[in-house]
Amino acid sequence: MELSFKTQLRGWRTVIFALFLREMQSKFNDKLGLGWAFVEPFIFIFAMSFARGFISGSDVHSVPIFVFMMMGLMGVQSFMTCTGSVPNAIKQNKPLYAFRQVQPIAALITSAFMEFSIKCGVIVLIALGIYLLDLDFQLADPLLLIALFLLLWLFSISISLIFAVLIAFVPEINKVKNMLNRPIFFISCTFFSLQDFPESTWHWLTWNPLVHIIELSRYACYPSYGDAGVSVSFIVEVTAVSLFLGLALYHITWKKILAR
Amino acid sequence: MIRLENLTKSYPSKLGPQYIFRNLNFEFPTENSVAILGKNGAGKSTLFRMLAKSEYPDRGRVLTNKSMSWPVALQTGIHPQMTGRENTRFIGRINQVKSLTKYEKAVQEFAEIGNRFDLPVRTYSSGMRAKLVFACCINIDFDIYLIDEATSVGDPAFRRKARQALVEKNTTAGMIMVSHELDQIREFCTSAVLINNGSLKFFPDLEEGISAYMEEK
Repeated sequence: MELSFKTQLRGWRTVIFALFLREMQSKFNDKLGLGWAFVEPFIFIFAMSFARGFISGSDVHSVPIFVFMMMGLMGVQSFMTCTGSVPNAIKQNKPLYAFRQVQPIAALITSAFMEFSIKCGVIVLIALGIYLLDLDFQLADPLLLIALFLLLWLFSISISLIFAVLIAFVPEINKVKNMLNRPIFFISCTFFSLQDFPESTWHWLTWNPLVHIIELSRYACYPSYGDAGVSVSFIVEVTAVSLFLGLALYHITWKKILAR
Repeated sequence: MIRLENLTKSYPSKLGPQYIFRNLNFEFPTENSVAILGKNGAGKSTLFRMLAKSEYPDRGRVLTNKSMSWPVALQTGIHPQMTGRENTRFIGRINQVKSLTKYEKAVQEFAEIGNRFDLPVRTYSSGMRAKLVFACCINIDFDIYLIDEATSVGDPAFRRKARQALVEKNTTAGMIMVSHELDQIREFCTSAVLINNGSLKFFPDLEEGISAYMEEK
């Protein structure tokens, strides 16, 4: 019995929607509820950015220090929370694979979508904060910024998918992943700019697509910041490769993941 | 009718792959209620899960044009932190029932758990859980119901009701059941499939199947 593409798509949507509601219901069963998920990263990013502004100067390479820090933290936080929790989704939803409609990748997409929506909520909160406190903010190229944000998420989800498949076979990889995640916070140009370093050392940093994403998002707000050493094409290439790798790995292993 | 074509299934282990079925060809009858019989480790649950497509064979196919339920057991798909109602709605959504409200009501009524339908499932007794799971399944129209032994924990009154519901469905639907308790099998099934050393044999008469199964031991 061949099903049309449209019916299949509708089936997937129903399953992901049902999983999404289920996750909402079970994840935020405590008193603070869903609000905490938004408030916590908001406070973290806002406080860190503000504190840094008090300690050192008012701007970095012509970008106000608050915006500078916020872009860095937002980028790195998106990546870290995504790769921190999404890879576990495949394992956590294991009992549900008894329903043949629910496949492991549906659980992963649901969890990724959840994290993504939370981050969008945080962005709204931060925008509100900037507006209410009347902070200096300029957005020269909004399209570039949106494209970068979406690419960042596509990249994070691809990496999560790769790790999710690996963890399904070798659970210990989870520990390795958590260890690898920590230095990412410090080498992704969160607290500093690529321009602070001599050009001869850039290759030590620019292998990391997060550096490109963060530096370019600062550039998207303030063109005077410059985009030396970073490029959108590198981000797109790395994202495409990791997405392909993730999907390929998943495609050849998903039936075995069910049996585990 | 469910057709198994060239089915091979193994599980990885330290001693190399453990084969449960090798190149199995079989036509699984589903016109009436079938019991799957077999010793521990013969592959009852594996076969059951493969029929339900919650697991896939290494090679070969399971072919059918009937709609099948999920393998209904105590644990599947029930989240202990969520209430009975939330769980029911989840199952309804996954299976794309037409009206969630109607389905919800029908399940609540059939499961006989009253107000506790709105309490988290972790506060339920195992009997209540079984009732909930069975009610969720029987209120969706499938061609074939797959029922694991765990669902028959309910009290005699409920079991009578469950049987009644299945008999009513029997004109349009079949049932496949896995259980160790022969009493329950006799109560629900009319024919049997016996698994022995990776091969299947169909007995149109349940008692013949049971005696063949008893001789095996």
